Amino acid sequence: MLEIKDLKAEIEGKKILNGINLVVKPGEVHAIMGPNGAGKSTLSSVLAGRADYEVTGGSVSFNGKDLLEMAPEDRAREGVFLAFQYPVEIPGVSTTNFLKTAINEKRKYLGQEPMEATDFLKFMREKMELMEMDKALTSRSLNEGFSGGEKKRNEVFQMAMLEPQLSIMDETDSGLDIDALRLVSTGVNKLKDGKRSFVVITHYQRLLDYIVPDFVHVLYKGRIVKSGDASLAKELEVKGYDWIKNEVESGASA
Amino acid sequence: MLLETLKKDFDQYKNQAEQGSFLSLREEAFAEFEKLGFPTTKHEEWKYTNLKSITEKLFEATCEIKSGVNEFVKDSIFSKITANRLVFVNGSFIKELSVIIEKDNAIVIGSLAIERHTHKDTFNKHFGKYAKIEGLALNALNTALLSDGAFVFVPKGKTVEHPIVILNITDASTVNVLAQPRNLIVAEEGTSVTLVEVYDALGANAAFTNAVTEIYVGENAHVEQYKIQQQSGESYQNNFTQIFQEANTSINHVTLTLDGTMVRNNLHFYMNGENCNSLLYGLYITDSKDFVDNHTRVDHAKPNCFSDEKYKGILKDHATAVFNGKIMVHLDAQKTNAYQRNQNILLSDDATVNTKPQLEIFADDVKCTHGATIGQLDEEPMFYLRSRGIPEDAARKMLLNAFADDIAEKIKIPELVVLLEEQIDAKL
Repeated sequence: MLEIKDLKAEIEGKKILNGINLVVKPGEVHAIMGPNGAGKSTLSSVLAGRADYEVTGGSVSFNGKDLLEMAPEDRAREGVFLAFQYPVEIPGVSTTNFLKTAINEKRKYLGQEPMEATDFLKFMREKMELMEMDKALTSRSLNEGFSGGEKKRNEVFQMAMLEPQLSIMDETDSGLDIDALRLVSTGVNKLKDGKRSFVVITHYQRLLDYIVPDFVHVLYKGRIVKSGDASLAKELEVKGYDWIKNEVESGASA
Repeated sequence: MLLETLKKDFDQYKNQAEQGSFLSLREEAFAEFEKLGFPTTKHEEWKYTNLKSITEKLFEATCEIKSGVNEFVKDSIFSKITANRLVFVNGSFIKELSVIIEKDNAIVIGSLAIERHTHKDTFNKHFGKYAKIEGLALNALNTALLSDGAFVFVPKGKTVEHPIVILNITDASTVNVLAQPRNLIVAEEGTSVTLVEVYDALGANAAFTNAVTEIYVGENAHVEQYKIQQQSGESYQNNFTQIFQEANTSINHVTLTLDGTMVRNNLHFYMNGENCNSLLYGLYITDSKDFVDNHTRVDHAKPNCFSDEKYKGILKDHATAVFNGKIMVHLDAQKTNAYQRNQNILLSDDATVNTKPQLEIFADDVKCTHGATIGQLDEEPMFYLRSRGIPEDAARKMLLNAFADDIAEKIKIPELVVLLEEQIDAKL
C-alpha cells in the first residue's frame, strides 16, 4: 500500500530525513518511535504534503501512485489521513459543514454521488457515538475552544468519518489523560478491518498498549535505525533511547 | 466643476423655497460649504480619500422615475423579508413602492419632507442637532440641498415590531445623478427599533450619494442599525451617521460594504449618559479599483460606558481600503471600556489597506485596547482543510466565508442574514 524508498527531506536547508525506507502493507499497524528531533513529525508532514518541507530525494508510492506528486487534498482523497499533533482551530467553520464538504469532495473525486443529507447525519451520529463525542461539539466551530483531549478525539472522529486506507497518527497520545487515551485507541481499533493500515508516531510506549503494532521502528537522525515487533517498544520503555543512540554512534564510528 | 453647478442649484432652490422650509439653516449650511469647499487630501481626515473623481464631474439632482425601478425594488432581497419599507430614488420618496406594515399608528415611519410638517415639534427639536455642519463640508452640503429621506419617530415606550428598511436607490439611467438623502430617527425613552439602511444603484451613468443620518436614542432605548452598501456601476458615496445616546441605551450597528466605486463612511457615536453599550461592526469586500474608507468615532463623554468595535476587510485586485477608528474618552468618562479591532485579508499583491486606530484618552481609569492586522489567509487552516480532501479553492472560500459571516451574523434578522451570506458568497 505504502512504499517509502530512501526518502530525504529538509526544511530551510536543514536536513531532517536522511533516507527513510518503509513498506506498509494492507491491514498492518506500524509504530514509529524515536527521541525528540529524530524526524518523526517531519515524516508525517511530508507524507501529508505540508509545503514547508522540501523533498530532496527518494520516492513514496501509495497504491502504486506517486504520492509526492499529489496536492494535499488529492492525497486525502486517495485515502491518506493525517491526525494532527496540533489540530488547528478554525472559527466560523462548523464541524458538520466541514465534514460534509470533505466527504462529498472525496466522493466527487472517486466519481460517486454526494451523500444525502439524512444519510450523512445518520452516519455522523454513529461515529460520534463511537467516539463518545458530545453532540454540541459538531455544531460548534471546528476545534474552537476545544480542550486538548477534545481536539485529539475530534481527529479520530474525522478519521472514522473519512474512512481512510492509511492513517498517520502524529503523536495523537500527547497531552491525553488515560480516559481520552482509551477512547482514542478504541476509535482506532474499531476502524481496523484487516485492510486499513496505520502508522502510529509516538514518543512513548503507552499508546501501544492499546493499539498493538505489528512492527515497531526506531527513527533517529532521520533514518530508521532499528525495526522489530511490539516487544521492541517495551524494550525502549525500559532502556530509553540512549541505548539505541549509543548503538548507532558506535556503529557509525566502527 | 461640481462646485459651480451646486451654487446654481442652491440659488434656484432659494428662489422657489416654500414657507417654513428651514431656509435660514440651509443658507447657513451652504455658506459653510462654500467656505470649506470639498475636502482634499490635505485634510488629515481625508488623507487617503481623493474626491477628484467626484468634484470634476457634473451631477444632476433629478428624480425621473424609470420603469426599471419597480422591477428592481421587487427583485431586491430587501423585498423578501417581512419589514416596513421606505423607498427613495435619487433622494426622493416613492410612495407607491413603500409599504408600512406596522400596526401602531403612534409610530411614524415616513418621508421627512412630509412628516416634518405633521410632526413639527419633534422635527424642530432634533433635526440638525446631532450631525454638525461646522467644519464638515459634506454635511453642510447635505443640509443645504437635501430633498428628502426617512423620518422615523418612535414615541416613549413603543417597540417597532418589524424592521424598517430604508431603500435608497440611485437611478443613473439617463444622466449622472446626485442624491442627498437625509434621515432623522427619533427613538424616545424605552423604545426599540431596527433600521436597515440600504444603498443600491442602477443605470450606466455615474451616481453620487451624499447621505446624512441622525439617530436620537432616548434613555433605556435600544436601536439596531444595519447599513448595507451595494451600489454597482460607477457609484460614489459619502455616508455620515451620528448616533446620540442618552443614559442606559444600547446600539448594535453593522455596516456591510459589498460594492461601490468609492465609499466613505463616517460613523459617529456620542454617549451622553452613563451605562451606554455600543457595538460597531463592519465588513468590506472590495475588488477591481474600488475604494472604501471607514472613519468611525466613539465619544465616551460619560462614565461607565462600553464600546466594542470590529471591522473586517477582504480586498482583491487593485482595491484600497482605509480604516480610521477614533475613540475619544472625555475627561470625566471614568470606567470606560472600549475595544477596537481591524482585520484585513489581502488577496492580491496590488491591494492596499491603510489602517489607523486613534485613541484619545483624557480620563485616568479606563480600559481601552486596539489592534489591527493586515495579511493573507493563514497557511495552517488552509493545510488542515486540504489535508481532509477539500481542494485549495474550496478551502480558501470556506475560510473567507467564515471570516466575513462572523460580521454578517451580527445582524439579528435571520432571514436577511441567509440572503446576505449568499451575496457575500457570490462576491468572494
